[in-house]
Amino acid sequence: MGQFDKLLEPLRIKHVTIRNRIISTPHAEVYAEDGVPGDRYIRYHAEKARGGIGMTMFGGSSSVATDSPAQWWKSLDFSNDKIIVPLQKLSDAVHGHGAALMAQITHMGRRNRWDGGNWPHLVSPSGLREPVHHATAKTIELEDIQRIIKAFGQAARRAKEGGLDGIELSADHQQLIDQFWSPRTNKRTDGYGGSFDNRMRFGLEVIEEVRRCAGDDFLLCLRMCADEFHPDGIDHEEAIRIARFYTETGLIDLLSVTGSGADTHATLANCMPNMAYPPEPFLHLASGIKAEVKIPLIHAQGIRDPLQAARILDEGHVDLVGITRGHIADPHFVNKMREGRLDEIKQCVGANYCIDRQYQGLDVLCAQNAATSREAVMPHQFSKAEVKKRIVVVGGGPAGLEAARVCAERGHTVTLFEKEPEIGGQVRWAAKAPARDQIGGIVRWFGLELKRLKVDLRLNTAADAAMIRAEQPDIVIMATGGVPFIDQFPGWGAAEGLCVSTHDILSGRVEPKANVLVFDVTSLFAGATTADFIANRGALVEIVTPDLHVAEGMGGTTVPVYNKRLAEKDVICTPNTFLHEVYREGDKLIAVLENEYTGRQEERVVDQVVVENGIRPAEALYFELKAESRNHGQTDLDTLFAYQPQPEISGEGFLMYRVGDCISPRDIHGAIYDSLRLCKDF
Amino acid sequence: MNALIPGLLVLASLLALAALAVARAARWRAGRAAAVDAVAGLLAMPGRYLHDVHDAVLRDPVGRAKAGDTGRAAARMHMLTAGGFIAATALILAVHLFALGGVVLAWLLLAFLALMSAGLLRLYARRKPEVSPRLSRGGFDRLPYAFTAFIVFFAIATLPAAGLIAPFSWASLGGLALLALGAWACIELYVGMGYGPLKHALNGVLHLAFHPRPARFGATTPDSALQPLPATAERLGVEQPRDFAWNRLLAFDACVQCGRCEAACPAFAAGLPLNPKKLIQDLVAASGTHGSDLGYSGSPYPQRPVGSAHGAIDKPIIGSGAMIHPDTLWACTTCRACVYECPMMIEHVDAVVDLRRFQTLELGATPNKAPAVLEELKATDTVCGRPTSARLDWAADLRLPLLAEVEHTEALLWIGEGGFDMRNQRTLRALVKLLREAGIEPAVLGAEELDCGDVARRLGDEKTFEALARRNIATLNGYAGRFARIVTADPHVLQVLGREYPALGGYYSVVHHSTLLAELIEAGRLKPAADDSGRRVTFHDPCYLGRYNGEVSAPRRVLKGIGIKVVEMNRSGMRSSCCGWGGGSTFTDVPGKRRIPDVRMDHVRETGAELVAVACPNCAVMLEGVVQPRADVADLAELLLAAVEAGK
Repeated sequence: MGQFDKLLEPLRIKHVTIRNRIISTPHAEVYAEDGVPGDRYIRYHAEKARGGIGMTMFGGSSSVATDSPAQWWKSLDFSNDKIIVPLQKLSDAVHGHGAALMAQITHMGRRNRWDGGNWPHLVSPSGLREPVHHATAKTIELEDIQRIIKAFGQAARRAKEGGLDGIELSADHQQLIDQFWSPRTNKRTDGYGGSFDNRMRFGLEVIEEVRRCAGDDFLLCLRMCADEFHPDGIDHEEAIRIARFYTETGLIDLLSVTGSGADTHATLANCMPNMAYPPEPFLHLASGIKAEVKIPLIHAQGIRDPLQAARILDEGHVDLVGITRGHIADPHFVNKMREGRLDEIKQCVGANYCIDRQYQGLDVLCAQNAATSREAVMPHQFSKAEVKKRIVVVGGGPAGLEAARVCAERGHTVTLFEKEPEIGGQVRWAAKAPARDQIGGIVRWFGLELKRLKVDLRLNTAADAAMIRAEQPDIVIMATGGVPFIDQFPGWGAAEGLCVSTHDILSGRVEPKANVLVFDVTSLFAGATTADFIANRGALVEIVTPDLHVAEGMGGTTVPVYNKRLAEKDVICTPNTFLHEVYREGDKLIAVLENEYTGRQEERVVDQVVVENGIRPAEALYFELKAESRNHGQTDLDTLFAYQPQPEISGEGFLMYRVGDCISPRDIHGAIYDSLRLCKDF
Repeated sequence: MNALIPGLLVLASLLALAALAVARAARWRAGRAAAVDAVAGLLAMPGRYLHDVHDAVLRDPVGRAKAGDTGRAAARMHMLTAGGFIAATALILAVHLFALGGVVLAWLLLAFLALMSAGLLRLYARRKPEVSPRLSRGGFDRLPYAFTAFIVFFAIATLPAAGLIAPFSWASLGGLALLALGAWACIELYVGMGYGPLKHALNGVLHLAFHPRPARFGATTPDSALQPLPATAERLGVEQPRDFAWNRLLAFDACVQCGRCEAACPAFAAGLPLNPKKLIQDLVAASGTHGSDLGYSGSPYPQRPVGSAHGAIDKPIIGSGAMIHPDTLWACTTCRACVYECPMMIEHVDAVVDLRRFQTLELGATPNKAPAVLEELKATDTVCGRPTSARLDWAADLRLPLLAEVEHTEALLWIGEGGFDMRNQRTLRALVKLLREAGIEPAVLGAEELDCGDVARRLGDEKTFEALARRNIATLNGYAGRFARIVTADPHVLQVLGREYPALGGYYSVVHHSTLLAELIEAGRLKPAADDSGRRVTFHDPCYLGRYNGEVSAPRRVLKGIGIKVVEMNRSGMRSSCCGWGGGSTFTDVPGKRRIPDVRMDHVRETGAELVAVACPNCAVMLEGVVQPRADVADLAELLLAAVEAGK
């Protein structure tokens, strides 16, 4: 038996053959153009198909009706026939690469925002307030029910006319269908509430209408949650009963099962488990349903690795494995696996950069792959450059690593100088925090790629101008990153050694003390994860931030993780407060805090003050070489932003460009994107 | 009387030889009957000798251990020594026994003795000061002295007849000493032809005449198909020496122990306990009444001692205390390198398979993973034990039509076991794309395709092979006229379907993908771009494509078509060295000092190649299994597809 025999076995359902068992489950892409898939949307899904995926399911929470607004996250609008032709283009592109495709359609009921688009009044079975979206919807009327059931049918018809292999009905994450299912949200006393059969009625009528409008030669998948994790919600036994109820109608062809409800911040974070979760945290729930139904079953949630996926299938838990974020990270996942290039798969690390952007209404991007969803202008695969150049990259953080990788893929001779004994830059420290170790996977992949691409990697080598000149480079790429910016405000006492940085703590250069104040200006990951790191060792920790709340800059699916982790360790969170001064008194430090709004000051007696204020660019080497570079170190922004090659500049010497934090601080994606867009044309 | 003595010496020796030959023939006759066209064989014999044997001798031995150890040197040595010896023998009898010819023939005799001396110099050069390790020692080491003695004795004995000195009497101290020398030489050289190193001369001639595979002589492609199991034999396969056909026993006896097989054997090179030369010598020893390997003076089976093996004509050959240890039998990859190298035209692989047939069919003694594989073949019709319906899982998105669904196809694609393996699915995917690029829509049998039977047959399970073959043949014959030819990327399939099914009633045009792809390039149906990467590429010839099917040009034409200039390994073409997969040896898995593919990868390394092109799914798997750093491995189809796509 080959390792991936089961994973690569086709699955035939009715007239559709899915060529292997790896699929991408629907997620909101935030790429739709006026409610329909455009060029970017189509290329994004076609790339996965080109990369060998069995089926791509798309359009998370696509709307069937105008009172389920989807403009917030640029999702698809199935309430109108104008989507049919764009869907046909999408179908042709995906089918052309041998993959199947299905869309998710839904009515979100109360799980939405009312303040935009048509400014609709949202509907829900019993008019209860939804905590995450802050919406109290009206109690749905029978006329609304009939209208929405018809809308589902018409949406399915449009999907079929659009050439799709099928649709998925979302009754997952508290959409209208499962709002009817759950006793938590359905308090009705009419024919749509109360008994089990009554609560199932709306969903059944939707399914019957969809089947009536789309016919039998069309796949119908029902996505459901296998346990809402709410005492007043659907538990696993109830979920099994629901699954049996619908599958025994014979009307649906596939069941997609997830774990966790989604109408609180705490449960919402479960839905797209980030790196703090164990692998496949809810597989047991899907497996529990699988044992009770007779149709193929899909499960996604924290499945990132081909070997993991193979084991899940071999053990018979599911029939199709959803590797959704894994395909955002690497749309060529399946081909690389099939070709035995496992180490080349850029594996999702669960940073949730993608989903956290989506929750802010921003287009989904991958922390570690800047080509995803930019297929029209950014390459996933590279052709060799016509002229082979000598390229020196200084700095082995994400920007430098991506620059070295892209240049090596283009066939250039690449030398990478890294002053530390390991590559990774700040990611090395980020990975030291508890439950953040997987972020190191980004660097591990780069390490494997640079080795494969035979990049001359010089560790423990702080490059100076002479060393760079000695390489006689055609191009120098500065990716020197930066140093912690804890000396911005003199009162913090960095000059006197009164405070240390998050890098000091996470790297182990400075041992955490017993009573620590963490002052977090950036409100991203560094402050909260460092507080977690220190508290994890039993210290008393207070995290103070001038922002509205602690870790404000973290995304919606990650901040709940830290709310939980910090609360469990009794970390005190003090928002809206500035660190005014630090001074020494005996063997203690006195931190003077000042409320941002009242100006009132109070003091803390602590052993250690950790300041997180981001980094300051390390630019000395750049300025030393700037004058002798042909382009004076300048990147031509017009061509860069137009995705064009940098202009030719004649003359002697090398060209020099800067990327990433050594220009100004940004995140991993920003650093990688800097390098990809610059280096793809070298 | 005095003058007759040299002639009588020869006559007596020849009579002794004749007696020995009769005794020897009795040993062969203990073997099974064989259908031999003796007259045709005898008539063809001189041609076979001068053509086939000469060609084989003329090739430089593999891995020459010393300068001057060339095929040409060996051929010259034989022509001069043996030619001179035969002529001298005739002239000795004429001059010394019948006093014919007077001075003229005496001078002629001296001339031939001089000719022999020229050959003798080469014989000395071959064995002095050092001797190639592949050569046997013992009696072979005495040969130069025996020939020297022969020449000296008969030259002096002929001087009076040539009128150069006065006749002399042997009855002197010097004369008797000389006589003793001559007698020793005659015993070594004439009588020795019945038992000693020179028996290859006589037995070789008989073997050429009564060869078990007469079709191999003068054939354009190798006569490599295994022969079906005789239906009426007392035992299935060979247990005892007498279970071999008599002319195979004769064949073993023709071995000259030159060790060319040993030098070419991949198992021997990797330190597996197999040496084809000793295998044949053991079979010779076992054909007597009290056989042992004590007299063997060549290289041993690696890892095994010499001197403890015992056997007899009616005793089992294989066994841990018998003549040949089972590990030796199962270490063979059936690569036919020994068969190709053998100047005596011995068929080692036939012997190995006959011995395996008994072990598997009668004893069930197939070792290690092999019995499990045979069980899978019986239960599932595949080697890997997966259903035949899964053979095309990888191709779900290629929508390959089933032959049952199409009226006619130019190419019936035989997927083979490679369809179950991710590595080779890449090759097959590339092949399908290439065929379509060339305008050929291949069809497949789908679940109807069963394993071709190669592994079963080479493991000695002739019954399972036949069962699979007959069912495949029934399927294919059911589609008669619906496919022009069968295309396969697996040379083992090529061999079995193309060359071994005819004996069971399946006659198909089977073509290896390299052959077809070369045709398509040359016909302009595929237009690859020239490879401009400048990388060094070598090509590894699959045994079952080259030595079994004689196809060594097509793969090179394909590579030439993509602008790749092959940097040849020392062992390439018909003399390629096995990857270690064949003959079920990956399943019998006899341990050696190294792995066979590691040895082969060393050959690749010697060329400095960054990439080794292959043309067999099994070679691909074996060579890719070699640990890094090593050359990349790619099938011709993969390389060609990349070039064709680059050409668009």
